[in-house]
Amino acid sequence: MKKFLNKPERFVDEMIQGIVSAHPSQVTCVAEELRCLVKAGPRRAGKVGLATGGGSGHLPLFLGYVGQGMLDGCSVGGVFQSPSAEQMLNVTKAIDTGAGVLYIYGNYGGDILNFEMAAEMASMEGVTVDSLVASDDVASAPRGEEGKRRGVAGIFFVYKVAGAKADELASLEDVKRVAAKAAANVRTVGVALTPCIVPEVGKPTFTIGEDEMEVGMGIHGEPGIRRGKLRPADEVVDEMMGALLEDLPFQEGDEVSVLINGLGGTAREELYIVYRRAHLILKERGITVYHVYVGEFATSMEMAGFSVSVLRLDSELKELIARPASTPFFVQQQLLV
Amino acid sequence: MDTLRKDTVITIMRALSELMQENKQYLIELDSVMGDGDLGLTMERAFGAGYAEIANDADTDIGKLLMKAGLAMARVAPSTMGTLVATGFMRGGKALAGKGEISAADLTAFFQAFVGGIMERGKAKPGEKTIIDSMHPAAEALAAAGDIDIRTAMEKALEAAEVGLEASKEMVARHGRVAYYGEQSKGKQDPGATVGVLIFRGFCSIWN
Repeated sequence: MKKFLNKPERFVDEMIQGIVSAHPSQVTCVAEELRCLVKAGPRRAGKVGLATGGGSGHLPLFLGYVGQGMLDGCSVGGVFQSPSAEQMLNVTKAIDTGAGVLYIYGNYGGDILNFEMAAEMASMEGVTVDSLVASDDVASAPRGEEGKRRGVAGIFFVYKVAGAKADELASLEDVKRVAAKAAANVRTVGVALTPCIVPEVGKPTFTIGEDEMEVGMGIHGEPGIRRGKLRPADEVVDEMMGALLEDLPFQEGDEVSVLINGLGGTAREELYIVYRRAHLILKERGITVYHVYVGEFATSMEMAGFSVSVLRLDSELKELIARPASTPFFVQQQLLV
Repeated sequence: MDTLRKDTVITIMRALSELMQENKQYLIELDSVMGDGDLGLTMERAFGAGYAEIANDADTDIGKLLMKAGLAMARVAPSTMGTLVATGFMRGGKALAGKGEISAADLTAFFQAFVGGIMERGKAKPGEKTIIDSMHPAAEALAAAGDIDIRTAMEKALEAAEVGLEASKEMVARHGRVAYYGEQSKGKQDPGATVGVLIFRGFCSIWN
């Protein structure tokens, strides 16, 4: 293991200390607990609180989206581990202004268990909580079994629209409605070239041949749909876009936003080579691209690979995507609609 | 009709916490076979906190006391089993909200809600080699016991829990780390189902 760290067991806390030190005007911790992160500054009365949570090792997911126009709080777990219900409860109480709190998180057993528990504990303490579970990973379960799919990079779009809607002081019901609409209209497919190393484990979680790739691998190294020889980028993108576009299905005349996400160990140059092909495919199919995000949005430590997410837009989602946002990891000016 | 009063409920919680302490090593060993081995610690912590939370509480609402105990458990034991048992107490307590004493029928409602809560939270049903496989038969036995005294009803429930634990040995695990072992989990005693038996055993110990 070759990493810049002090002690593996201090990895998460020292990372958070660094983030809070770097961005004190944007994020802060609550309940004397480093792993309960909330947006700094005063809260607007009547604004629905947005909370997420999940394991570490995926930056900017999850805590990187706490900030203006996005999320209000995040409970942080160990590397690839769920945070506890109590952490989420602390975050919930800190961000509730009386308008209720919406949990937005990925479809993983441990997270579901703890966040449902947190919601129940919060309701006993008088806070209204609703939840939205993102499950955008096409490769993790077939069509018709969408409920079994994992949540991956596409959750970024859900955060974006929910955050913009909550900023309008919309009701909890309304914020959940747009979040659910984004979640229902986003699909993601990923591919990995290398494993990653969890600091406290110290060695790769799996092995993959020097000349091999795994299409559909999850962001914790969960098995994909196909392992094979690494092909030229265009062929890899063709295969992935085929699976992704068929799933919704995306059709001629659709307008979409695209997210090309690096998994942590892949150069930006490669991500643009990927987008070049994705762009051609969308154009050929008569699908209009409204806005493209290229960079690292949901990683898996230092895993080499990328994912493509496509969100089908309607006028409401488009307008919410276009709104400005500012978090330690994501800044966007108002886009032209 | 006999009932359990608040002080008896607190005595039961103390008995449960002591029983989990006594069985800490046993549960660790059971859980080390195919799990991560922390179950004994988790249960000792959870039930210890549950009892401590209500030991000196002036509240006379038994349902509320049990809910508070559940919340305390959830705080100190955030593991899967800790969360499930805490959910059981929270849901069971909710079913008894406002009661200053509890009858056999109330106990039935408590355990039905307890088991229902665990099934919902853990997305599990009977037959999947979990805590449900000892607690569900026990709750059913309580419901079937009809109009008898609490002690007899609870002893019938304990018996059903023990039979359930025995039957669960032949099941294949579908939840948690042990599920990776699939068929290999057959023949092994499930630590969760064992905790289920201990809950009824601790309860009944107040009459011995």
